[in-house]
Amino acid sequence: MRKQIAYIVAFLLMAFSFNLSAQETSGTEEEKAFNPKETIFKHLLDEYSWELPFSHEHKISLPVIVRDYKGDWNIFWSSRLEHGQQYEGFYIAQDGPNKGKVESVDDQGNRYRPLDLSITKNVLALIIAALLCLWCVLSVARWYKKKHYKAPRKGVGAIEFLIEFIYTGVIKSTLGDKAPRFAPYLLTIFFFILLMNLLGLIVIFPGGANLTGNIAVTMVLALCTFIVVNVKGTKEYWKETFWPDVPLWLKFPLPIMPLIEVFGIFTKPAALMVRLFANMMGGHMIILSLISLIFIFGAFGAVVVGGITVISVLFSLFMLMIDTLVSFIQAYVFTMLSTLFISLAQVEGHHEGKTEKVEK
Amino acid sequence: MELFTPEIGLVFWMFVVFVILFVILAKFGWPYILRSLDERAEFIDKGVEYAQEAKSHLDNAQAEAKALLVEAQKQQMEILHEAAQMKTQIIEEARQAASVEAKKVMDAAAVSIEQARKESELQFRREVSQFALQIAEKMVRKQLSDDKTQVEMVDKLLNEIENQN
Repeated sequence: MRKQIAYIVAFLLMAFSFNLSAQETSGTEEEKAFNPKETIFKHLLDEYSWELPFSHEHKISLPVIVRDYKGDWNIFWSSRLEHGQQYEGFYIAQDGPNKGKVESVDDQGNRYRPLDLSITKNVLALIIAALLCLWCVLSVARWYKKKHYKAPRKGVGAIEFLIEFIYTGVIKSTLGDKAPRFAPYLLTIFFFILLMNLLGLIVIFPGGANLTGNIAVTMVLALCTFIVVNVKGTKEYWKETFWPDVPLWLKFPLPIMPLIEVFGIFTKPAALMVRLFANMMGGHMIILSLISLIFIFGAFGAVVVGGITVISVLFSLFMLMIDTLVSFIQAYVFTMLSTLFISLAQVEGHHEGKTEKVEK
Repeated sequence: MELFTPEIGLVFWMFVVFVILFVILAKFGWPYILRSLDERAEFIDKGVEYAQEAKSHLDNAQAEAKALLVEAQKQQMEILHEAAQMKTQIIEEARQAASVEAKKVMDAAAVSIEQARKESELQFRREVSQFALQIAEKMVRKQLSDDKTQVEMVDKLLNEIENQN
């Protein structure tokens, strides 16, 4: 087994070095001007089309939906904007503050950003993740409808294990009697984040979109938790927020404690948003950087590139494994903290001991 | 800094997709799953409880059976003991009854023997007296005629003889 791996590595090494040296002799301008920063950010950010695996040429065309300054909606395929083409006055900006986004020019000749609701790569990935999530969960539900008390097997069993793990381990143990009220939201959040995280790690088509490493996605998730926490919050929660149980001087002439509490209402979801975003984005960035190393060292000749390739691939494999773990942990942490914030907003009467325990 | 500015389009779609996903799952997915999970857990708990109960019942039953067996053995012993006692009693009774009966028979026999003896004695006396009379008659016929005093004397003599016996 070890011997086989060694052979494979050696073969890949040779193939890579041969390939690269061949390219060096032909000396294409593109390979020479490799810009790691640009490449990394291109992969981290959104795109209007989706590259098919193993090719820079073939892309999946996605619908661009924009509203211009006159209020008219325009829908067209992103292939119309390829290679700097213009379509009905819309083009992808090559520079300026809106670089990489659809821009247009108004009557006065000013460049502006139209309202852009395009189905981009990330949006399509979102939809794919949501469909996968639906399929996963509904297959479990279908199993229960059909085979009532029978324990699920294989894939359904694995999903059921996760549900059980989150439901009894996190939701029920924290929320107690109120668990069934909030469980649907929390479980949906968990599975959606988990699937988005894992899909983001798959490099080719159905995956590869840096979804949870995109602040817009995590912002919406955190906003949803924020809404659930504060809309479903009890009277006691609001009383504790604006008139907490502290000495009077802490809240009467100067509302120090209420101020801190109100501040806390907003920092909690903000922390959720940033934690998930930074973890997933960081993971993607490290892997992209490691892979970029190969191309950065491309100029140093076959032997160096070969060595760097092996090291980079091993490191990025290692990082991918860690990221798989992180994908799960981050989905878990997001769910757990959401549960915690909900439970903190569900205080009834004076259960000081209980809330303290939860805070720990 | 493009990385840190949320894109309006993506926020919009994310919100739409997430809300649709949540609504569908909250309506058709989670309630079934959570209810079934709880039900199954309860079902399993009940099963375990039932099994434990059955086991304890079984253990009890074994103990009960053992106790019953011991009781039965005890009873058997008692019965045997009683039977033995009864047997000796019956034998004793039979023996007593037999001895009583035998005594009765013996008594009856003795009585009848006595009677027979008395009768035979009476007869014998009568015969003897007759013989004596005949003898005396024969003797006296030769000497005397029938004499009342002589018969009385003979009788008297006979009585004396009997008393001597």
